[in-house]
Amino acid sequence: MIHLEKISLNIHGQTLLTRTNLAIAPSDKVVICGASGTGKSSLLKFIIGMLPWSEGSIRVNGLELSQHTVATIRNQIAFIGQEPTLGAERVKEALLLPFAFKAHQQVQPTDELIFQTLERLHLDPAILDKPSKRISGGEKQRIAIARALLLNKSIFFADEVTSALDQESKAAVIAALFRSKITLLSVSHDPDWIKACSRIVEIKNHKLVEATP
Amino acid sequence: MMVEMDILSTLSMYALLLIPIGIFIWLKMGLVKETILSSIRMTVQLFLVGLYLKYVFQLNNGLVNLAWVIVMMMAANLAILGKSGLKWRLFFWRTLVGIFVSTFIVSAWFILVAIRPEPFYDARYMVPIIGMILGNCQRSNVLSLERFYSGIRNNEQEFMTYLMLGATLNEAIRPYLRTALKSCVNPAIASMATMGIVSLPGMMTGQILGGAMPMAAIKYQIGIMLGIFVAMVIAAVLNILLSLRVAFDDFQRLKPEIFQ
Repeated sequence: MIHLEKISLNIHGQTLLTRTNLAIAPSDKVVICGASGTGKSSLLKFIIGMLPWSEGSIRVNGLELSQHTVATIRNQIAFIGQEPTLGAERVKEALLLPFAFKAHQQVQPTDELIFQTLERLHLDPAILDKPSKRISGGEKQRIAIARALLLNKSIFFADEVTSALDQESKAAVIAALFRSKITLLSVSHDPDWIKACSRIVEIKNHKLVEATP
Repeated sequence: MMVEMDILSTLSMYALLLIPIGIFIWLKMGLVKETILSSIRMTVQLFLVGLYLKYVFQLNNGLVNLAWVIVMMMAANLAILGKSGLKWRLFFWRTLVGIFVSTFIVSAWFILVAIRPEPFYDARYMVPIIGMILGNCQRSNVLSLERFYSGIRNNEQEFMTYLMLGATLNEAIRPYLRTALKSCVNPAIASMATMGIVSLPGMMTGQILGGAMPMAAIKYQIGIMLGIFVAMVIAAVLNILLSLRVAFDDFQRLKPEIFQ
């Protein structure tokens, strides 16, 4: 599903990864660990073409990342950052934002599906009428996840998503993302999250190394 | 007829400058040198332009007029890029096209459809009308280009979120295009709404001083205000749209090297 072959990554002249490989199969739940500054979050950004990589190939669902495939690859992946940006003034507009773009105009979600998705993430439907600036970081993360679920994305990149969540919200997020049809590549220091993952990958000496769960 | 100002009376206006200079010295603002230099620069530039325009008006040759207009456009374009914080080498030709197209459409309409002078390239109409349109486009375009690109740079995560949610580059830039356009047209809209009450516009004042009847001057002023507004919007949108290809790479990332 996701294949990194002999990739080398540099940022501002600093080497993060050197000719290293990683293969992620469908339904895998992978967490990347390592000391801060080793490039864990950057690795996620490289795969979606947000940062330029210097060597090697990145393939997602058989498509090699290039200028011609980057839009298709981005469309298959949901990226949930530490502080997601909702990109609209009201929560409802933010949730429905992708359905205003040509790529998703044909597949508007029903109200029923929206409420079901919110419920699954322990979000009160009243949140839809709130201004995006007025909701907490944890709620923002769950709205971003709900948006990705409505888009029916099957690959999730999660960068420290549980850092701002209370126990109940964290359990809801884990329940929503750790399902068999979702492939997950994440960065986390949270023991509960790491425990829920099927694979742990560490960045050691600029290489991606499989660690024992 | 207008009362001519001789050199001494023009220079007498410099005496008034002592008031703001005194204030700057009192407030220790350090603007004295800039004020004096800018005033001298303005004086020299205007005298040179006055001399040049004297010959342009005497010759009244279509090609000479066109050459002057091209020089004005190049200067406006360089000023826009210089003040917008973008590298002029990367954008020069693209923004020049934006400025040219917007000024050409509006000036051609104003001169050929509204005023219809004989000959149509009469320097008395062509040079000041295009000059006014360019001067105003210049100010608004600095604002719109700067707001657009700094808006994306300062909200990179939001911009990438749009791309990740399936937006094309044209869809992802839309919010920043809206903000940039608002920043350039809002002052123009406010200025149109208060025109004649709060301020007496320059072109109208100039015509009245030159001996024109107020009603005749007003008609020109309405024409030029509408023309400036239209040219401003066309130039701002064109400049942004035409510059996208140099500002973003193949992965729709904003190139950091476009900024000065």
